[in-house]
Amino acid sequence: MRLESLQDQFQQRIAVVGGRAQTVPDLEAALGYVVRLTQELGGRTLAAPGWGQAELERIQAVGQQAGLEVFSQGLRAQAKNIFCGFTPADWGVAQTGTLVIDSLNEDLRLATMLSEVHVAVLPAARLRPDLPSLQDELGGILQRPQAYLAMITGPSRTGDIELILTMGAHGPRQVHVLILEAAA
Amino acid sequence: MRSTPADSRQYRAQLRRALDNQFLRQTLAGFAARNRQQRAETFAGLDFAALAQEVARIKDDSLSRLPELYQQFKQAAEAGGAQVHLAADAAEANRIIADIAKKAGCQRLVKSKSMTSEEIFLNDYLEAQGLTVTETDLGEWIIQLRGEGPSHMIAPAIHLSRQEVAQLFSRVTGRELDPQNVEGLVEVARQELRQAFLSADMGISGGNFCLADSGAIGIVTNEGNARLVTTLPRVHVALVGLEKLVPDLGSALTILSLLVRNTGMGQPISGYVTWISGAVPCATGADGRKEMHVVFLDNGRLALSQDPVFKEALRCIRCGSCANVCPIYAKVGGHNYGHVYIGAIGLILTYFYHGRENARALVKNCLNCQACKAACPAGIDLPRLIKKTAGLVLAQEPRRPAKNRLLAAVLKNRRLFHFLLRRAYLTQKPLARGERLIRHLPFFFGREQGFRSLPVVARRPLRDRWPELARPEAKPHLRVALFGGCLVDFVYPEQAEALLRLLRGRGVRLDYPLEQTCCGLPALMMSEEETAREVAVQNLRALDPAEHDYVLTLCASCGSHLKENLPRLLEGAAGLAVQARQLAGKVIDFSSFMVDVLGVEPALGGSGAQAAYHAPCHLCRGLGVQRAPRELLRAAGYQYLPYAEEEVCCGFGGSYSLEFPELSAAILESKLDQVAATGAELLVTDCPGCVLQLRGGLDQRRSPIQVLHMAEAAAAALDKPRA
Ligand code: SF4
Ligand code: SF4
Repeated sequence: MRLESLQDQFQQRIAVVGGRAQTVPDLEAALGYVVRLTQELGGRTLAAPGWGQAELERIQAVGQQAGLEVFSQGLRAQAKNIFCGFTPADWGVAQTGTLVIDSLNEDLRLATMLSEVHVAVLPAARLRPDLPSLQDELGGILQRPQAYLAMITGPSRTGDIELILTMGAHGPRQVHVLILEAAA
Repeated sequence: MRSTPADSRQYRAQLRRALDNQFLRQTLAGFAARNRQQRAETFAGLDFAALAQEVARIKDDSLSRLPELYQQFKQAAEAGGAQVHLAADAAEANRIIADIAKKAGCQRLVKSKSMTSEEIFLNDYLEAQGLTVTETDLGEWIIQLRGEGPSHMIAPAIHLSRQEVAQLFSRVTGRELDPQNVEGLVEVARQELRQAFLSADMGISGGNFCLADSGAIGIVTNEGNARLVTTLPRVHVALVGLEKLVPDLGSALTILSLLVRNTGMGQPISGYVTWISGAVPCATGADGRKEMHVVFLDNGRLALSQDPVFKEALRCIRCGSCANVCPIYAKVGGHNYGHVYIGAIGLILTYFYHGRENARALVKNCLNCQACKAACPAGIDLPRLIKKTAGLVLAQEPRRPAKNRLLAAVLKNRRLFHFLLRRAYLTQKPLARGERLIRHLPFFFGREQGFRSLPVVARRPLRDRWPELARPEAKPHLRVALFGGCLVDFVYPEQAEALLRLLRGRGVRLDYPLEQTCCGLPALMMSEEETAREVAVQNLRALDPAEHDYVLTLCASCGSHLKENLPRLLEGAAGLAVQARQLAGKVIDFSSFMVDVLGVEPALGGSGAQAAYHAPCHLCRGLGVQRAPRELLRAAGYQYLPYAEEEVCCGFGGSYSLEFPELSAAILESKLDQVAATGAELLVTDCPGCVLQLRGGLDQRRSPIQVLHMAEAAAAALDKPRA
């Protein structure tokens, strides 16, 4: 399948479950997006675990410039204080609008669970048509002695009261996926 | 500990209370309607049966080697630093988990949803040990605060209104909460439970999959609470049934896709699917690692996996569909339709996991409508297993109930049976006051039976009229045997007469072998398998499949019984098994025969009357016939008016309507309301049992809607040739 159509499909599918996806040209644009969003929603912190050193430095620089506190590790201590989780994602599944994140890193897990809003950055080249086409990669991860593999589709939600679908049961109330375009 | 009444009378009283609960009725009706629509959308364009077969194959393979998969899982998980336990029964599982908590010095426990923990009443046990347990799935938390069990496997608090939840949460928070603000209620839970997560030292989860090759467990949730349960506390215990073992991720993904689609929440995947293997990093754990335990529960599963009949029940992936589609569940809800496990699978598992007493009355509460079977993603023949379970319960009764003994004695002796049916005409005559329906039933029926008028047994049954009716066809090219069935023969011979009129001049030689008797389904429904087998043999003797091209039935129930059950009943019987299969292969229903074999053209004539259709369970699901009757209706010149619940049971279920009249009446009422809403003047169906129920119900309503068997409807078209 062509890349664009995978992107389109991913965007449509995640929208169905109340998430949002859009493409961005590069990390700078993604950073601009996440800072704006956090400020608009009145958040003051950014939890950004799971990034490489160079990326983290940019995130810290841009975040601090905007007056946001940026955490990248030791997130337990900030458990009540995480507004926006800003993390990389390993794969995207177009058929269902699902993010797959190898979350062995505990801080990465906490950022995607305890935040009010989760913004994930997904390289376009890492989109796959469906889950079975990821079977070998995921099976490989699970073969490691320890693994915590998360498949995340849209915001946390519940239908437990009269089957009325309500967002933000336990995890993020919003999920945004920024698809890093192929060239980046 | 919960208990479900073992006594039928008490159980019926409980059902009556549920039927009187208007909110429950409304919620369940809305749930059923939504679910029906979502299922249709979710599975549009997918071959559900093929997918279910694949799931069944994977589960059967896994179940056939549970000990091996368990060893493999244990090795892999322990290599990653997890500890794996096997609990023989509920008591041992409870003990193991409490010991883990004690050894690790844990006091505050958080839990995500686990039906297995409900099965063993884990919370009760842990709380008795002085531990604090908080359920964190919203629905589970609600029912925990109310001291109830779940009423649905996926939506545990579906039986409650927002008002009830608001009251409950107001009490918990000490603040007045607005019931109309559901988001606000969810927010309360989010805040309260976040506290519980952050202070917990042990997390207990269930698991949907256990992957033998990697020692990983897979957990499916929408809310994300299982992620917090498995991440924040320093100890994690996953409690899983042994049947959750599958070889690898590939198998699990195949099952997952069907599991999630099937939950009826209308999504192709749920919010979160989490895979955990080994002792993962945990900042508050010793050495920065989580203390990870997987506790497998046997509780009869290993033995069940070797049972030739009941092992199928272990295929269940707990999707909840067999409740969602069940017309009985839709009326009374899970608290009245199961013990811990609810819905069709609950009727079966209650016996094996929670004992005969709890299953005794419950297991009879099934219409055999086959809706659950058609919706089960694991291809479990639930209605069959329910009857088999009822058979086990029956076998353990000190005495077989009188009605069973009577039925067995009478059915086995065709002459006696038919003699009694003829006598019934004389008994009924004074009650009918010259009508064809009895509106006011005699006292021995009980008031609750009055929801439908009963038909009068025919003065002369079909078998007596046959010699005058049958006319030889000049050059027959088809030899067809009519299997009448008791209702057509003794109550509605006019349905067969309509058939004869329709076949005239179409080159069909129709025989009615007079030695045939009841098809045997009523015996099977009362778990009298031996009797069912005996009448099956009598029918095979009467009806040699080699002499006929087709065995035609006007009764969908007889038809599906002959097709599906006959070969099973006579499996392995020397000489007979072959014949049973041959006969089954020749069985055909009336509509399919007309449309697919005779190829009737849309030129039968017809009045253009507006007709609604009721699809008999044993036709649309039992025989898988959906297209032919609707085509025939149109061919016969009717204006067909569809409605949403055409394929939902009418509530007859043979003797079911006598055992559970209140439910039968409630299900019939919904059906008739829908039919009435179409504005149709006619209601057409192709099963005499459904005719009995529908006609009786409409008569009690004094409704002008006329009920016809499809054969009568088609024959009526002959009288009104198209202009
Ligand atoms: S028996 Fe089938 S339909 Fe019922 S819960 Fe289990 S898998 Fe689902
Ligand atoms: S056969 Fe029908 S009545 Fe019986 S459990 Fe299944 S759905 Fe319910």
